[in-house]
Amino acid sequence: MERAMPQAVPLGQMEVFQALQRLHMIIFSQNVSPCGKFLAAGNNYGQIAIFSLSAALSSEAKEESKKPMVTFQAHDGPVYSMVSTDRHLLSAGDGEVKAWLWAEILKKGCKELWRRQPPYRTSLEVPEINALLLVPKENSLILAGGDCQLHTMDLETGTFTRALWGHTDYIHCLALRERSPEVLSGGEDGAVRLWDLRTAKEVQTIEVYKHEECSRPHNGRWIGCLATDSDWMILSAGQGRCVNQWQLSGELKAQVPGSSPGLLSLSLNQQPAAPECKVLTAAGNSCRVDVFTNLGYRAFSLSF
Amino acid sequence: MELQLKGSVIVLTLNSTNNGVTSGWEEGKYYSEEAEVDRRDPGRDYELYKYTCQELQRLMAEIQDLKSRGGKDAAVEIEDRRIQSCVHFMILKKLNRLAHIRLKKGRDQTHEAKQKVDAYHLQLQNLLYEVMHLQKEITKCLEFKSKHEEIDLVSLEEFYKEAPPDISKAEVTMGDPHQQTLARLDWELEQRKRLAEKYRECLSNKEKILKEIEVKKEYLSSLQPRLNSIMQASLPVQEYLFMPFDQAHKQYETARHLPPPLYVLFVQTTAYGQACAHMKSSQPPRQDKTLSVAIEGSVDEAKALFKPPEDSQDDESDSDAEEEQTTKRRRPTLGVQLDDKRKEMLKRHPLSVMLDLKCKDDSVLHLTFYYLMNLNIMTVKAKVTTATELITPISAGDLLSPDSVLSCLYPGDHGKKTPNPANQYQFDKVGILTLRDYVLDLGHPYLWVQKLGGLHFPKEQPQHTVIADHSLSASHMETTMKLLKTRVQSRLALHKQFASLEHGIVPVTSDCQYLFPAKVVSRLVKWVSIAHEDYTELHFTKDIVEAGLAGDTNLYYMALVERGTESDACSSPSSGKGCHSQDVKYRTLLPLCSPCTHLGGIESCDSSQLSWHLIGQGFLLEPPRCCLWCCHPAPALAAKLQAAVVLNPGYSSIPPVFQLCLNWKGEKTNNNDDNIRAMESEVNVCYKELCGPRPSHQLLTNQLQRLCVLLDVYLETESHDDSVEGPKEFPQEKMCLRLFRGPSRMKPFKYNHPQGFFSHR
Repeated sequence: MERAMPQAVPLGQMEVFQALQRLHMIIFSQNVSPCGKFLAAGNNYGQIAIFSLSAALSSEAKEESKKPMVTFQAHDGPVYSMVSTDRHLLSAGDGEVKAWLWAEILKKGCKELWRRQPPYRTSLEVPEINALLLVPKENSLILAGGDCQLHTMDLETGTFTRALWGHTDYIHCLALRERSPEVLSGGEDGAVRLWDLRTAKEVQTIEVYKHEECSRPHNGRWIGCLATDSDWMILSAGQGRCVNQWQLSGELKAQVPGSSPGLLSLSLNQQPAAPECKVLTAAGNSCRVDVFTNLGYRAFSLSF
Repeated sequence: MELQLKGSVIVLTLNSTNNGVTSGWEEGKYYSEEAEVDRRDPGRDYELYKYTCQELQRLMAEIQDLKSRGGKDAAVEIEDRRIQSCVHFMILKKLNRLAHIRLKKGRDQTHEAKQKVDAYHLQLQNLLYEVMHLQKEITKCLEFKSKHEEIDLVSLEEFYKEAPPDISKAEVTMGDPHQQTLARLDWELEQRKRLAEKYRECLSNKEKILKEIEVKKEYLSSLQPRLNSIMQASLPVQEYLFMPFDQAHKQYETARHLPPPLYVLFVQTTAYGQACAHMKSSQPPRQDKTLSVAIEGSVDEAKALFKPPEDSQDDESDSDAEEEQTTKRRRPTLGVQLDDKRKEMLKRHPLSVMLDLKCKDDSVLHLTFYYLMNLNIMTVKAKVTTATELITPISAGDLLSPDSVLSCLYPGDHGKKTPNPANQYQFDKVGILTLRDYVLDLGHPYLWVQKLGGLHFPKEQPQHTVIADHSLSASHMETTMKLLKTRVQSRLALHKQFASLEHGIVPVTSDCQYLFPAKVVSRLVKWVSIAHEDYTELHFTKDIVEAGLAGDTNLYYMALVERGTESDACSSPSSGKGCHSQDVKYRTLLPLCSPCTHLGGIESCDSSQLSWHLIGQGFLLEPPRCCLWCCHPAPALAAKLQAAVVLNPGYSSIPPVFQLCLNWKGEKTNNNDDNIRAMESEVNVCYKELCGPRPSHQLLTNQLQRLCVLLDVYLETESHDDSVEGPKEFPQEKMCLRLFRGPSRMKPFKYNHPQGFFSHR
């Protein structure tokens, strides 16, 4: 990598602070709007930025269209997870889940619709929420994170209906089995648990690290991400600049370098409403969101 | 015979004329044919002549006839006839004479008449000439202009109004313009005489006044030495009463010779100093010592400079022309000439303004302001003196150097470029590339210096009429003075901090103690300054360089924080006394370069002492794998955290920026370890927590101490590999609520003060 010396620009106190903030930004979560034309990205400062994918992908895209159209302070802590219902954007991070109206966000009115906090046992520290999962069949939201439990929230009433516990350390991720009403959760303790939503019971536990071929002694036993999709292709990203494309057989199909040193979030825009915006976006340890127009090529970066 | 003849002629004539014979005869006792001519009628003479000629012809014919017939009586007849013809001839002769006389007479008469005509003609000519001359004289007279017409006379009405009646004589002059003019002239003369009189009076008055002035002047000049002597005598009194009026007065006198920008600076700083003193206390301004202004340099030179300002201008243009010529003629001297021209261009005004700014701790910032006359910019040289002698740490070399102490007082104002855009053209002329090469000599032309001097330069276009403006200077004075003070204080604070940093001690003041846990195991072992180029060459500083935060006006340092060396093990609570005393000794021996780079053969460890080896010249130390004496597991690998520090000249309002590289189980930077990234973010972004009490001079040391704490947390919370036998390398001593949190598995870096535990941000 060549080192281009940038012109020494005179920087004041504010500019330096902003530059440092951008430099140390981490984008934890991404979500595409129901219409498929906008991308929300949440960073470690609790800000959510809305990018217009359609403007950035259009033929007359300028530098400004790669900047967020709206940025607002959503949480005090990092925004770890975001999901979209057909009208709302739900964001979660520091123990609270907040709802925003997509329609209002796009009109640049950034007023939260509601906020809810799962019933935590009192603790010195408010546990974070690492994962949000929508269960469309029963119109509920499952939250999981720092307190090692899965909380189910009824989206209609806004009440927390049940809590599932069993994990011994905090939960990283959630996944929904499409056919049967079952939820998978993976956590820091290295276990993947399968829950039945009807009975609210744990059905099965897989302790991945106990299988010899799956153990990673140098990395620890934590499970970072889960997927139940039976698709033949797996996209993975993590420490390192690259987005890797794997086939289920374990064969590495493609490796695309990105602009961030470490990737934390991948999002494939498959909204049927906006076929022209069908892209893969990847974000992580930088203020940039890389946009892949096809799976083998990084087109450009959106930037905070 | 003649008488007879005459008598016969008379008879003859009597025969022909009835009355003429008697009168001529009676009258004449004398005989005059002239008179006879008058009496005779020329017509009759002509008749007579014709008759005579006929008689002769007849006689001749008769004679001929007679002769031809011949005979004796013929002879007598012939004789007779001959006598008759003789008479006729006589008459003819007489007639001939008369005719001659008549001719002569006629000629004479004609001549006489001609002479008369000539005389008349001449007379006529004379008269005509006389007439012409007279006419000329008349026209001359008519054209004559009198001198009085040139005199500007008062108007007619005014004349009758003002002139006394004995001059105006209205009854006489009203009808007669000649008399009127004469009267007016008289009046004019009268008036002029009066004015002349007045003029003389005024002159004498003036003379008198001049004399008076002279006298007064003499008096005044005699007063000056007396006043001087009084002033001289009052000096000790002024000194005694701390009232340096005289000195101030002298300074103001000198200040008059300052160039306009320096004058503005002088006036404004003096005013600001006095205002500050007023604000601070009720004491009179002369007591203020925090800001003192003085003028230095030779006043005479400045005076000399002022005298021929136009000449110097001309010289310049002249020399331009000369230069062109000489360049054509002589190439070799071009360089020398350019050198001279450069010197001339960069010449500064002989006077300079000294400004001493005293800070609270008795350190003084000496600023000397210069004015470059030909460039129309001001420069400053700075020097810091402290009350106590400072031991200069190696890494603090640039902190107080005159070259950099005031760099970037305002963002971007590094003082290496001329602020006057017009200068670039001047430089081009003499071949100066940039002012940067000359700032060491001339001082730095910071923008704030120009503003203090009231010089304002527009950014885009060069403007030749830049004049010193008081209001500009005044509006920048207070902020600049405050910035200057802050700068000096923060630099002095850094200076002190560096001294202890070089000895591996991070000084934490008591009012910042709450920011850190009581026990910090990681130690700072190295603090050195590095060059800008070296910084940019480092592999883990790329982000900062690309973000434009690593300009060449910044100062760069490298810090090394270590944990896991012997000193660490020995300073653990269970270690014995001997070890501590060793430790002190060891520290003095330990070179700054880390010993842990060569982990070669491991010596077996004696149970009673640490084993360490001196290898070669450097004191390279081999750490024992296990220190049995301490009963403490000594780490096999020391964790070394390199921190590249960018110190902005605007410290401490702009924070230092750290970039980290951890050497422990491989190299970890923000590129491959999220927690290193989080540590950088902790010191760089969350620096406001570390500022400490204002004016936050402790920021840098607090950041370094925080870095030590962060390294402790990082190492102690590192997940332990179960598959490897043995105890943890770094036992967890910090109290943490949770080890990891969030998708990126952050470590708990936030320290909560009163409880003393670590949590996630």
